[in-house]
Amino acid sequence: MAPAEPSSSGGATQGQPPVKSPANDPKKKDEKKDEDLSEEDLALKQQLELYVERAQDTDPGLQKVALESMRQEIRTATSSMTSVPKPLKFLRPHYGTLQAHYEKMSDSDLKKLLADILSVLALTMSPEGERESLKYRLLGSDGDIGSWGHEYVRNLAGEISQEYSKRQIEEAPIHDLMVLVVQIVAFHMKHNAEPEAVDLLMEVEDLDLLVEHVDSANYKRTCLYLTSSAKYLPGPDDMLVLDIAHSIYMKFEEYPRALQIALYLDNFQYVSDLFQRCKDPLKRQQFCFILARHGVSFELTESIIADDGERYALQEIINNTRLSGGYLTLARDIEVMEPKSPEDIYKAHLIEGRGSGGGTVDSARQNLAATFVNAFVNAGFGQDKLMTVPAEASSGGSSSSWLFKNKEHGKASATASLGMIMLWDIDSGLAQLDKYFHSPDTHVVSGALLGVGIINCNVQSDCDPALALLAEYVEKEDASIKIVAIMGLGLAYAGSQNEQIRSILMPLLLDGRSSVDVIAFAAIALGLVYVGSCNEDVAQNIVLALMERSEAELGDPLASFLPLGLGLLFLGKQESVEATAEVSKTFNEKIRKHCDMTLLSCAYAGTGNVLKVQHFLGQCAQHLEKGESYQGPAVLGIAMVAMAEELGLEMAIRSLEHLLQYGEQNIRRAVPLALGLLCISNPKVNVMDTLSRLSHDTDSEVAMAAMISLGLIGAGTNNARIAGMLRNLSSYYYKDASLLFCVRIAQGLVHLGKGLLTLSPYHSERALLSPTALAGLVVMLHACLDMKAIILGKYHYVLYFLVLAMQPRMLLTVDENLKPLSVPVRVGQAVDVVGQAGRPKTITGFQTHSTPVLLAAGDRAELATEKYIPLSPILEGFVILKENPDYNEES
Amino acid sequence: MLKVSVKWQKEVFSNMEIDTTQPPYVFKCQLYDLTGVPPERQKIVVKGGLLKDDADWSKVGIKEGQKLMMMGTADEIVKAPEKGPIFAEDMPEEEQAVAVGHSAGLVNLGNTCYMNSTLQCLHSVPELKSALIQYPPPVRSNTVDQSSHSLTVATRELFNELDKNVRPVAPVRFLTALRSKYPQFAQLHNGVYMQQDAEECWTQLLFTLSSALRSSGSGEDADALKKFFGIDLVSRIHCPESGEESMETESVYSLKCHISQEVNHLHEGLKRGLKSELEKSSPSLGRSAVYTKDSRINDLPRYLTVQFVRFFWKRETNQKAKILRKVDYPLSLDVYDLCSDDLCKRLEVPRRLLRDEEGKKAGLKTNESSSTKDNDVKMTDAEGPSNASGDSSVSAPGEGAPPEKEKHLTGIYDLVAVLTHKGRSADSGHYVAWVKQENGKWIQFDDDNPIPQREEDITRLSGGGDWHMAYICMYKARDISI
Repeated sequence: MAPAEPSSSGGATQGQPPVKSPANDPKKKDEKKDEDLSEEDLALKQQLELYVERAQDTDPGLQKVALESMRQEIRTATSSMTSVPKPLKFLRPHYGTLQAHYEKMSDSDLKKLLADILSVLALTMSPEGERESLKYRLLGSDGDIGSWGHEYVRNLAGEISQEYSKRQIEEAPIHDLMVLVVQIVAFHMKHNAEPEAVDLLMEVEDLDLLVEHVDSANYKRTCLYLTSSAKYLPGPDDMLVLDIAHSIYMKFEEYPRALQIALYLDNFQYVSDLFQRCKDPLKRQQFCFILARHGVSFELTESIIADDGERYALQEIINNTRLSGGYLTLARDIEVMEPKSPEDIYKAHLIEGRGSGGGTVDSARQNLAATFVNAFVNAGFGQDKLMTVPAEASSGGSSSSWLFKNKEHGKASATASLGMIMLWDIDSGLAQLDKYFHSPDTHVVSGALLGVGIINCNVQSDCDPALALLAEYVEKEDASIKIVAIMGLGLAYAGSQNEQIRSILMPLLLDGRSSVDVIAFAAIALGLVYVGSCNEDVAQNIVLALMERSEAELGDPLASFLPLGLGLLFLGKQESVEATAEVSKTFNEKIRKHCDMTLLSCAYAGTGNVLKVQHFLGQCAQHLEKGESYQGPAVLGIAMVAMAEELGLEMAIRSLEHLLQYGEQNIRRAVPLALGLLCISNPKVNVMDTLSRLSHDTDSEVAMAAMISLGLIGAGTNNARIAGMLRNLSSYYYKDASLLFCVRIAQGLVHLGKGLLTLSPYHSERALLSPTALAGLVVMLHACLDMKAIILGKYHYVLYFLVLAMQPRMLLTVDENLKPLSVPVRVGQAVDVVGQAGRPKTITGFQTHSTPVLLAAGDRAELATEKYIPLSPILEGFVILKENPDYNEES
Repeated sequence: MLKVSVKWQKEVFSNMEIDTTQPPYVFKCQLYDLTGVPPERQKIVVKGGLLKDDADWSKVGIKEGQKLMMMGTADEIVKAPEKGPIFAEDMPEEEQAVAVGHSAGLVNLGNTCYMNSTLQCLHSVPELKSALIQYPPPVRSNTVDQSSHSLTVATRELFNELDKNVRPVAPVRFLTALRSKYPQFAQLHNGVYMQQDAEECWTQLLFTLSSALRSSGSGEDADALKKFFGIDLVSRIHCPESGEESMETESVYSLKCHISQEVNHLHEGLKRGLKSELEKSSPSLGRSAVYTKDSRINDLPRYLTVQFVRFFWKRETNQKAKILRKVDYPLSLDVYDLCSDDLCKRLEVPRRLLRDEEGKKAGLKTNESSSTKDNDVKMTDAEGPSNASGDSSVSAPGEGAPPEKEKHLTGIYDLVAVLTHKGRSADSGHYVAWVKQENGKWIQFDDDNPIPQREEDITRLSGGGDWHMAYICMYKARDISI
């Protein structure tokens, strides 16, 4: 290779010259080559040799002419660079001579001229690490840098970054470098080399310079490069980079993208600025749709939007009141409104040979499974075949008959399943649930309470019906009612940071009379309501609750929910957790490590922090003292941290494979769950195969976790392969009620919302992570770590925590009056176009559909018509279309 | 007076007037008129709180034009059904067994699969079970020796336990009784109990039960087992040399299916099995001569047992070697042409009736497959057994008496159990029982592990390889009531 590496370590450069002749060729070879030279080349060579000789002449006039002609030769040659330009090649033997001559020269313009030439020659000649190109550049005239060609600039940029870091250490002044940097950045930005410009600025830590140089032609690619590189930068650089991207987007009024970054940064100041900057009511509505999808509650105050009517309408959108309607529009369009019964999902007729047990007697466990399957499959459709009663049959009360086919606490889940079926539809859902409030059976009442929480999940109403209905039940003596009321509040107000909820739930934590399960659910609910808020007060109280409880109480399987609740407060907040983590070291040793792992995994969830992944892997290598349980959260932690981006995700899948081979049993039990989280609603074939293998594991808990995870990776995809696997498993495990229960749950998940829903917490082209969705998943997965005690015990309703992550995987285009509007769109596999030149295609293998359409994991849509302009560049969820004023029907 | 709008389900009642001087109950009554929801069922949500009947309007803090939300329906309150369903998990184990659809497996106590498979096959005979329940009789006769008695009791107890359990049963007591009665089953080889011939076990067990039950039987059916399993043969013994001929009758518990080069099907094997040659002294010739013995069935049992003579004593290896030849057997067997003329005459009427009945069914429901037809026929005789297992003590004797008058055998039999052997010699390998359950499903009882099987797979056990092959088949009579 050439002695000087042309580009900096940034990496994303392309179009490098393919060949560079080796620099330290033996002389002989050079001479040999001379003989092969064409006449033309020979003439050039001799010419250059003559210039070199003249340049050393004592006559300044002669010198000047020689240097200028030399410069001329080099410039004309370097403008295009496919191999080492001939003038450079022929001048190489004379580099030393010229260098020596330069040293002897007295300061003059000529000397600067020679420095310029030397700087270019150093491109191929300078020994590694000497940065001579830069040295002579600084000594030379500061003329137009670009005239020497791209390669020279690139090389210079590389040397600058090296020099910069050296000077940083020496604390030497960097002013002269910065002058050059400005020149280089301006050059790069003008010449479609935005990634190089960004790389250089990152190296010299002065990204602000970028803002001056972006223009409407290159800002998109610049920002794309900035945002994608942010994932691989250590904090706090990533925040800085995103901040710059945000300000560029704001500058060019690319508001939806700016909003996306603001949400990533969790910076609500930016969000309100956005509403104030952008006065277009349509665009504002689009912002509200994006906010609603992210699942954060954001209150528009009068200072943000003055007009009452508009504010009210926008707040409605943020409150997600249109979600149910949009989802049903999608369902009607795809023609899947017809309710499905669990039998339609099990498809027992496809199972070869053996029937499924063939019992005519109801099994409570299997009926409970059918209840969940029914709830998951018909989620949000408002009708099903078990719970909602068709009008004519209402006298017979077929719904109550199914309800009472569930046993004891099973009835709670059955009643709550009604909430799932009526998901997001507050008005009719609550009316359906009303009658169950008056039941004499406490299990039914508790189910109704949970149902209220589920219906209100991800949607808000300005009347706060969930709070009104549930608050009084939290005070009840009966623990089973108390728990579901708490859970219902947690679901309904997840991410809202609602003060009233806090005042209801916090006293429970420190109430010595509360049993462990009550405080466990209270901690989770508070964790959900204050997810990612770092709320000191709540954290303090959970910590106190953990300290007060005796060792025996901490042994309860649900006690692990307490640290988890604490962790959720710091979800994705990285260093902010440190103070609390320090306090957790004083906990009872039974739970200390467990707590530490949970806190870390939550705090770094979705960051892709490689060091944390390594830390967790290290923990998994420890051999356990008996009775410790911290490795489960550590394994889940790997998935939570690594799920941030595709590369880390693949690496995590491989690491988990190792854990599977070498890990102890408690680790093996958590691995399937971690895989499930990594590929949630995204059935990768290799993971599917691993899980399929594990589902036949001799350890039944591994098998159960693997089956649940098969459901998770296939959630809402209707994936035929997983469905087939699960069918076979259902006949394989037909005798074991617990394993069969897990198979059934997984079957329900695969057909979640008849294939219209996703559980993925990532949205907006996998750029944003909805904290509430992730929180819901994590709670459910932690519950699965102790399957026997929680899911297969009487707390099966923790499965409903998944509702937090349930979102339609749709693109629904609406017109300016927010009425559904069908337009043709191309849907295809998304292509990574970061740092690519020109305007590359963003999707591949596309098909044209008309909206509303379903988007699978990794799919991207683009409008196939010029007639409308989408108000958001990210075609996901609700997108408002505006008529294109320039559209011409004929063209 | 305040004006508010109230949202109820999808409806909105705007401009509702609130008289703030009256308690909220009055307001609820206003809503009652509009919605038909009684006030006590109404829940009115005001900004995250519920409106109480006796609240003070001024403290509720309601504003002009505010939107309220009302919940509540006039729907009937959900009531639990009077009689809740019974869940499999709550049932005592015996009822679970009914729900599971097959009885429990038997634990292998060390090379006892020959015994387990035999027991599973016999266990599928409900008549045997009910007969055992009668044992011992209140007045005990002394004709039964102690070991036979204890073996019979052990069988009864074991069958009982099999019906009650879902989990595998360990037949310890039965095994002890069996070994004390027949010490050959307690043979040791290198300190381990040896594998035994299942057929031997089957025969000996039936013999013991037969003698024990006979002695116990009261007048009406003296020999229950003979009625269930016994086959009356009438044989013509003929000496070609002297032309002597004599008739003999005997009663056996199983038909033998001889396997030779020409035999490909059970039917052929049975025919051969009924013909034999024997040498005995001829009174007319004054020396021993070869006689041919040609047997025919003179009376049929309810359960026809067929033994495939797969094992023969091989002197060179000093063990019972096995014939691996494939011999097909049908799911329903017609033995009409093996019967004596006398029996044929008796069978004619029932056979015609059965044909008519089946023809009628086929004619009426042409589109119904033959399998359902089979089931229908079986239903009639399956009633008895299902009663028997329900409250067996009552129905069993009643079952035993009437069939003589009402039910007639037809000579057509349906396969109900197959005992298979896998391996190369009788004293090694593995025995497994394949038994048809009352619900028509086949279960493979591989010791403690019952596995559901398909009917098609049952006929594949006909040999010709190293897979399980039928050793003993048990057929149940298809009878018809007249």
